Amino acid sequence: MAAIFAQGLAKHFTPEIKAVDGIDLAIEPGQIFGFLGANGSGKTTTVRMLTTLLRPTAGRAEVSGLDVENHAGQVRASIGVALQEAGLDDIQTGRELLTLSARLYRVPSSQMKARVDELLRIVDLEESADRALKTYSGGMQRRLDLAAALVHRPTVVFLDEPTTGLDPISRDAIWRYVGELNRTEGVTFFLTTQYLEEADRLADEVAIMAAGKIVAQGSPAELKASIGTDVVSLRIGSDEDLTRASDAVRRFEGIEDVRVVDDAVICYVRDGSSAIAALVLLLDGANIRPREVTLSQPTLDDVFLRKTGHHMEADAAADAKVRKSS
Amino acid sequence: MTAVFTDTYYLMLRALRETIRQPALEIGNVFIPIFFFAVTVGAIGSSAARAFGVDNYTGFQMPIAVLQGVAGAAGVAGIATVTDIERGYFDKLLLTPAPRISLALGRLAADVVRICILSAFIVFVGLLFGSGMETGVLGIVVLVVMAGAFGLAYSGIGMALALKTGSAQAAQLGFLIFFPLLFLSPAFAPKEYFAPWLEFLATINPVTYIVEGMRSLVLEGWDAAAIAKAFGAIFGMGVLTMSLVLWGLRGRTA
Repeated sequence: MAAIFAQGLAKHFTPEIKAVDGIDLAIEPGQIFGFLGANGSGKTTTVRMLTTLLRPTAGRAEVSGLDVENHAGQVRASIGVALQEAGLDDIQTGRELLTLSARLYRVPSSQMKARVDELLRIVDLEESADRALKTYSGGMQRRLDLAAALVHRPTVVFLDEPTTGLDPISRDAIWRYVGELNRTEGVTFFLTTQYLEEADRLADEVAIMAAGKIVAQGSPAELKASIGTDVVSLRIGSDEDLTRASDAVRRFEGIEDVRVVDDAVICYVRDGSSAIAALVLLLDGANIRPREVTLSQPTLDDVFLRKTGHHMEADAAADAKVRKSS
Repeated sequence: MTAVFTDTYYLMLRALRETIRQPALEIGNVFIPIFFFAVTVGAIGSSAARAFGVDNYTGFQMPIAVLQGVAGAAGVAGIATVTDIERGYFDKLLLTPAPRISLALGRLAADVVRICILSAFIVFVGLLFGSGMETGVLGIVVLVVMAGAFGLAYSGIGMALALKTGSAQAAQLGFLIFFPLLFLSPAFAPKEYFAPWLEFLATINPVTYIVEGMRSLVLEGWDAAAIAKAFGAIFGMGVLTMSLVLWGLRGRTA
């Protein structure tokens, strides 16, 4: 039995706005499943349907073998959820919030205090447990939110962009907790993220979401291998040269694909180490001097670029910039 | 069914904790009705008593001060629910196995507790002002229970608007509805002195029966008909507003 299963799952807010447009999922128990996509790709809507917060327009979904529409209450009892932007009650203390969560999740009274203390220790919040949440940093709130999601020892946990906006230390701490829980307790994680490094480091399997559809799915290694080429990135000075460089490298024998992103021409070539010199010579023949040339193995960002036509990291950075300025 | 009561209780405690930690928010709810009570009785008490044939205008006004206090305090559940929605905490609560109705009832129950304490305090101040209480201590208890029940029914308006719209401005509309209802009731003069059109509106206004029920406890002694009408009006309002709350809750998970 899959821990999370979806078939033709869709949410159309209007006939034109198809937030999720018929996706299929089958996530095995004990997996960490990375759900990648830029803002607005449908990740959060998918999580809200799988966690019973939104009713699907079409299709069906099961979590822990329970239909999310017909057994919503049982689904809620079996899952833990940390939503995007830790939504906490800042007048309560950390301990009070966890205790209330434990009560609402029916943790037996005899175990409640021990469980709350254990979770506070796991997320390194013992010392600040009796402070009001309004005094917590963003990272502390996220850690507490994760603890609240785990209070009833759920077998399936949904984390919606758990590290967005966090500093590297807090992000690393969240990754460590997720990895440990998955290894030691076999918890299944459904993790949406804009950070490819996060998915690469944690996820057993990854799906890439764009415009409400899953455009690629597999293990990070499989997805990267599916590109089948090396990646040569040529940073060019001017826009005019960029166009000419792109046209020039397309004529190179052995090139699989060419993408222009920002000020770079990205070339997908077999045997990149041999091709790199030839590509530079080709540009030199067109009187174009690249400012920087790099050769790399494909990353998940390259997979994302091939599948969606744009860089995910750039989207995430732009989103972060918008959030910061607003 | 047990879960509804236990989860409502836990969520009520959480809401009351908020009140204890932000006591300044209650100052207006205490001060405004007592201020208007003192000013009304001081300014027109003696002339109104002569004009309307009311011997004890302080006692006549005391239930109005209680109802003003109820109206102010009863807005908290809706506004606090909007805050929870805006913070994202309401979604966290929706994700728990707690019965949906408990999420609303927890806050409404906290309003009832606050309203009962506030009403008892206003009655105490009224007694100091010389309002008297014909039905004695038991009458005070019935009046406070009546205020709490009215508060529960009345809080439902703000709660339903909060759940349906997620907007603080909309939730506050619930508070504003009270004043037309109060002024269309025999708040300042007996209904017999009203113009016919106002008397008709007062007759179909449920607040009229609550005012008269409370007033009977203060001025007349035990009047079963007046008390029954008051609780009947509260029950009718409650059925309507709790239906709206359920409608709002359904909308939150659509």
